Amino acid sequence: MDSITIRHLRESVALLPTGDLAPVSEFYRRLFELAPEVRPMFTREMDLQAKKFSDMLAWVIAHLEHPHELCQEMRALGARHNDYGVKVDQYGPLGSALIWMFQRTLGERFTPEMEDAWLEFYAFASFEMERGSREAAPSR
Amino acid sequence: MRTARLGAKLSESGGYPLSLSTAVVNQHLDQALNSPLFRNAERQSRFLRFVVDAALQTPQPTVKEFDIAIAVYDRRADYDPRTDPIVRVEAARLRARLREYYEVTPPDRVRIDIPKGRYVPSFIQVEAGTAPGVSDLSILVPSFRSLSPDPGDQSFCDGLTEEVVHKLAQDHRLRVVPQSAATWLEQGKATPPRYLLEASVRRAGAEIRVTLHLMELTGGGAMHFSNIYHATINDIFATQERLAEQIRGDLIEALHISNAGSESIH
Repeated sequence: MDSITIRHLRESVALLPTGDLAPVSEFYRRLFELAPEVRPMFTREMDLQAKKFSDMLAWVIAHLEHPHELCQEMRALGARHNDYGVKVDQYGPLGSALIWMFQRTLGERFTPEMEDAWLEFYAFASFEMERGSREAAPSR
Repeated sequence: MRTARLGAKLSESGGYPLSLSTAVVNQHLDQALNSPLFRNAERQSRFLRFVVDAALQTPQPTVKEFDIAIAVYDRRADYDPRTDPIVRVEAARLRARLREYYEVTPPDRVRIDIPKGRYVPSFIQVEAGTAPGVSDLSILVPSFRSLSPDPGDQSFCDGLTEEVVHKLAQDHRLRVVPQSAATWLEQGKATPPRYLLEASVRRAGAEIRVTLHLMELTGGGAMHFSNIYHATINDIFATQERLAEQIRGDLIEALHISNAGSESIH
């Protein structure tokens, strides 16, 4: 990722309301609309799930200049998602819900450049997650 | 690798020039879709087949986000891409998957490319047996040339060249050869670089235009990538850095290296 992409990712996250989990809750609501079949995979209480997602987002933003660590973390996340039963085709709705969350929360402050940055990041992150999933279950 | 970009739009008559035929593209597509990377990615496989079929069947194809949403992602007729960016998300993922596929399986006759910003694929002919390894990515970068009459503009070009060399050199997969090393190379003390990156800069007031060419020296100087960049100079250093970053990103894409794989040290 280049420095401009990193800057757009950081600026978009900085615009989210601090300490407010409402956007993340909306993200999950949207995800379940787009891919209702993934709903049963989320067994923990949704507020806790939203907090976990928010923490992961903060970790990612803090590690954008460290691609090796990012790759390792995304692969580990992918391996865990493999345990939950997530399939390759379900990464698309997840990415759509993520970008929708920014669009809905930030409105016009979410610029096309920010969207491009998230598309690039998500392509990378989801691909590493897939890789982690394949490594965890090579026969799938 | 000697390549010829044979996007479906490139044939004025609507046919397929040179030795690239629909059958060759379809055979290559089938091979890719049967690979482990695509086998478990049903939607992405459908996406790729849909856009390839559209490009093969129509002389001047137009594939819209809406068409893909309906045909591949089972969206309804009231689909609004502004509120459901599924196609944009999946297109970015598909480009990453294709890059990974070609890193694992270098193409021997044709490569499918979906350029950023559009959904119509290009079919790039690959000369058999010349698919490169990643280690072949060496680039000679002479100083960019100023085409404006003001001799002071050359210093802007030199600064921009330095910035581009610096950014490219941070990618461990590239071997970047600056002008200062060119003479050394001419004396036969090292393997000559595979690519030559040339650029010229024109200025009118605060507006500048950079014309960039990436040529493959080992392919007889064939043009591999070309682009024109526009910028307004407010802060010289910021403009140089922004342009250099755009150029770096485009070159990484043109050379078919995954952006995510680079060890950035920004």
